[in-house]
Amino acid sequence: MTDDVILQVKDLKAYFKLDEGLLKAVDGVSFDLRKGETLGIVGESGSGKSVTNLAIMKLIPTPPGRIAGGEVLFIGKDIFKMSDEEVRKIRGNKISMIFQDPMTCLNPFLRISTQMIETIVLHQGLDKKAAKAKAIEMLKLAGIPAPEKRIDQYPHQFSGGMRQRVMIAMALSCEPEILIADEPTTALDVTIQAQILELIKELSARLGTAVILITHSLGVVAGMCDAICVMYAGRIVERGTADEIFADPKHPYTQGLIKSVPRLDKVSSQRLYSIPGQPPNVINLPDCCPFFPRCERAMDVCKTKYPKIAEIGAKRSVACWLYGEGK
Amino acid sequence: MSRFIVRRLLSVIPTFFIIVTLSFFLIRLAPGGPFSREKKIPPEIMANIMAKYHMDEPLLNQYFRYIGDVLKFDLGPSYRYKDHSVNDLLGAAFPVSIMLGTMALGVALLLGTLVGVTSALNQNKWQDYAAMSVAVLGISVPLFVIGPVLMLVFALQLKWLPTSGWINSRAGWKTVIMPIATLMMPYFAYIARLSRGSIIEVLRSDYVRTARAKGLKERVVIAKHVLKGGMLPIVTYLGPAFSGIIIGSLAVEQIFVIPGIGKIFVQSALNRDYTVIMGEVIVYSLILIAANFVVDILYGLLDPRISYK
Amino acid sequence: MPLLDKKTDKAVNEFNQYVKPVSLWADAWKRLRRNKMAVLGMWIVGAYLVVTFGASVLPFHSYTEQQMLHVNLPPSLKPAGVVALGEHEKRRVDLKEAIERSGRSDLKTDLERVDAEIIQLKGDMDVNPVHKRVYILGTDYLGRDMLARTIYGGQISIMIGLIGTLTAAFIGIVLGSLGGYLGGWVDNLIGRFVDLMYSLPYMLIVIIIMSMLPTGSNSIFVLYLAIAMISWLTISRVVRGQIISLKNSEFVEAAKSMGASSNRIIFRHLLPNSLGIIIIYSTLQFPSFIMNESFLSFLGLGVSAPQASWGTLVSEGVQGMQLYPWRLLVPAVAMTVFLFAMNFLGDGLRDALDPQSKNRS
Repeated sequence: MTDDVILQVKDLKAYFKLDEGLLKAVDGVSFDLRKGETLGIVGESGSGKSVTNLAIMKLIPTPPGRIAGGEVLFIGKDIFKMSDEEVRKIRGNKISMIFQDPMTCLNPFLRISTQMIETIVLHQGLDKKAAKAKAIEMLKLAGIPAPEKRIDQYPHQFSGGMRQRVMIAMALSCEPEILIADEPTTALDVTIQAQILELIKELSARLGTAVILITHSLGVVAGMCDAICVMYAGRIVERGTADEIFADPKHPYTQGLIKSVPRLDKVSSQRLYSIPGQPPNVINLPDCCPFFPRCERAMDVCKTKYPKIAEIGAKRSVACWLYGEGK
Repeated sequence: MSRFIVRRLLSVIPTFFIIVTLSFFLIRLAPGGPFSREKKIPPEIMANIMAKYHMDEPLLNQYFRYIGDVLKFDLGPSYRYKDHSVNDLLGAAFPVSIMLGTMALGVALLLGTLVGVTSALNQNKWQDYAAMSVAVLGISVPLFVIGPVLMLVFALQLKWLPTSGWINSRAGWKTVIMPIATLMMPYFAYIARLSRGSIIEVLRSDYVRTARAKGLKERVVIAKHVLKGGMLPIVTYLGPAFSGIIIGSLAVEQIFVIPGIGKIFVQSALNRDYTVIMGEVIVYSLILIAANFVVDILYGLLDPRISYK
Repeated sequence: MPLLDKKTDKAVNEFNQYVKPVSLWADAWKRLRRNKMAVLGMWIVGAYLVVTFGASVLPFHSYTEQQMLHVNLPPSLKPAGVVALGEHEKRRVDLKEAIERSGRSDLKTDLERVDAEIIQLKGDMDVNPVHKRVYILGTDYLGRDMLARTIYGGQISIMIGLIGTLTAAFIGIVLGSLGGYLGGWVDNLIGRFVDLMYSLPYMLIVIIIMSMLPTGSNSIFVLYLAIAMISWLTISRVVRGQIISLKNSEFVEAAKSMGASSNRIIFRHLLPNSLGIIIIYSTLQFPSFIMNESFLSFLGLGVSAPQASWGTLVSEGVQGMQLYPWRLLVPAVAMTVFLFAMNFLGDGLRDALDPQSKNRS
């Protein structure tokens, strides 16, 4: 492991026991994250991207879910082997998370100051006064006007975009190594989305924080990320730098995703492309490539075995029978 | 905040007037009532009533006179007992019922939340199943079954507790145990179920997930983040709970022979003592209105989204 | 879009896995069946319904016949004559002890009376067929069979509960859907009315109404009307909420765009989708109805003699409970078990029909 890799996820598996059967939400996910890097995880709903990140922080509700295998090495130590106490010290402190819907993610019954101060006091040992000062500073950085006054307000007094800024300020208040942003802009207006993404980019650069950005939108990823992982049905189907993936997507799914993005420079009389079919129901999935029903280039082997992962470059891999062995 | 209080007060007044008006006209229409001139009642009482209610005046005048009396806290003479006024009969009994009701509600609230929260935190384990089975029992068994059965076991068979009476009797504070245990049962059970459901829902909420993601200890998450929001439905329930306890006390006071307004109310209903019934309705309405009012204010204080409307 | 497996003709997804179509009701039924307590509740309620409504054809004693020879007999499998004799003998022994302790002369007359009764009973035993009866659950203070009384009491209580719930549901559905669908001033008016009714101490009003009735009139009708009057409130609110949330949904838009009339939309589309929640609330309302009615009857303001509901029976039982505890316990247990079962069933239905509880761990 090279020096600046701060997070190594190896073969992570998270399963859920449901009435209908075993849901393998995450079934063997591996990726690396370097210091200060921005990694994008792209996938449709149900692809397992959110669960991956909850699993990293051991936040999966343990009935009905469980970690079924794998390692998560944070600066060399395996999170899955840590005690609850040790994991708690990391959460909010070294690894922070922000979630999709800022309306519901902040406690409506507590003031912003309370919610921000408790993290700072807990992890940085400051007293309440110092913690409040720090919190106000973070709010200012996050672009909240008149933070000294607004910090004592309640969440419902903020607009959606403002609330997300508060979430970001709160998450970065302990200057974590990693910020995990789970669809931070999906619930926001389009005009605000760009602002929030810009904010994340700016703050993470300033503080040297690595970012894992989870999204279903390639557009979001294009502007922000150094590296990209594409997920489908609980597994990573393609990995690479942003440039590589956009310039030369290998996996048929990735190709389909890129084709689906409406482009301004294309002729407008062309129909919008969308990948045919539906994402699969991943309960009791048989051993095959889960994308084959929708794949234009599916072969017989795709129906019977999950593809072996082909490493095609330094940081590049694809899980598809078209590359490596199947060719 | 004060605008909120004033608004609530204003909405309460029409309800009160409707209740008073309803009881006024219901009594007047009752067959065999004092105003139907069919029943034969002792002339002294008839004289009282005639004098008090000015029966020769037009109905509307009588109505306004009645409202005036009520506002002066004068509830008129009893229809059955010629020497007593309604105020006499109710005055001594009123504090007894309030005490009984408040104690029962307090116990129900305390025990109910305790049990409910414990159940929610131990979902699907034995504490949960045991507690919820007791809760269903509490809701299913009627008050007037619990009371006598308790009396049968603890007073008549085991002779640990007195069968009847109130604090001022020889048995003293022991008399309150069974009445309170009986009265609080269905409300304790409901509060236990309510708080369990509410806490479970809050435990699954996004903001609790955020709290955990920040690395807070589970104990802190529960005490600081879960309880506040989780308890809110309980506050809303307090209004109807208080209302129910008042009704329940009617039976409990009968069973355990407690000198409260409930006992008087039932007796007057059976005796057709109409003036007392009317007075009771007014007293009860005032109690309920006050209780609901307090609950509303409490809720407004606890939920920050409300006060700032 | 499920494909069909060529061999078995069953629905199959793209991975060649069989796909079972699951409708809302089938799903709910499956979940209900898995809830053991709810199933138990269902059986118990069913048993009660069969017994109470089949009572006239089943071999029970009459519930009105007063048999003064068999007053206050405890539950027993022995014939009544033997049991009565036993009770008399016991009383004789108690009296003798009391006389020895206190020497009161009035007790002596009592003793003479008991002796006379014993002699008469012994003579009567083989002659009068009445003494061959078995009162499995004992008798009350007028010699009426407790089992029969409890069963008929159940008839009254359950009937009132059923009719009341249906009435409340009907009124609630009508007003709720009118308000929810039409909105505007109709909704406002109904809403205000509901708020008003909610804030009134309705139980008090019911008690007043019941006390207004001249004694001896047919109180059952007024009773259930009075209780039904306030029970529809919750259902109307719930239905209104459902209709409002459904009326803006896509399938309603589709129906409207095809020219469906309001009536059709309400009856064919909105109400059937609200059925689940209506059932849930009605099932929870049913035991509450029975509780209200028996509460009133217990106070003496409900069903009047000669009819008796469970509440009346408990009230009568309380009066004699020190000496004759079965008179209290028989109707009390019967009623409690029924309500218990109903509540479990109601809970089970709620869990089964409420999609949010799916996969609740």
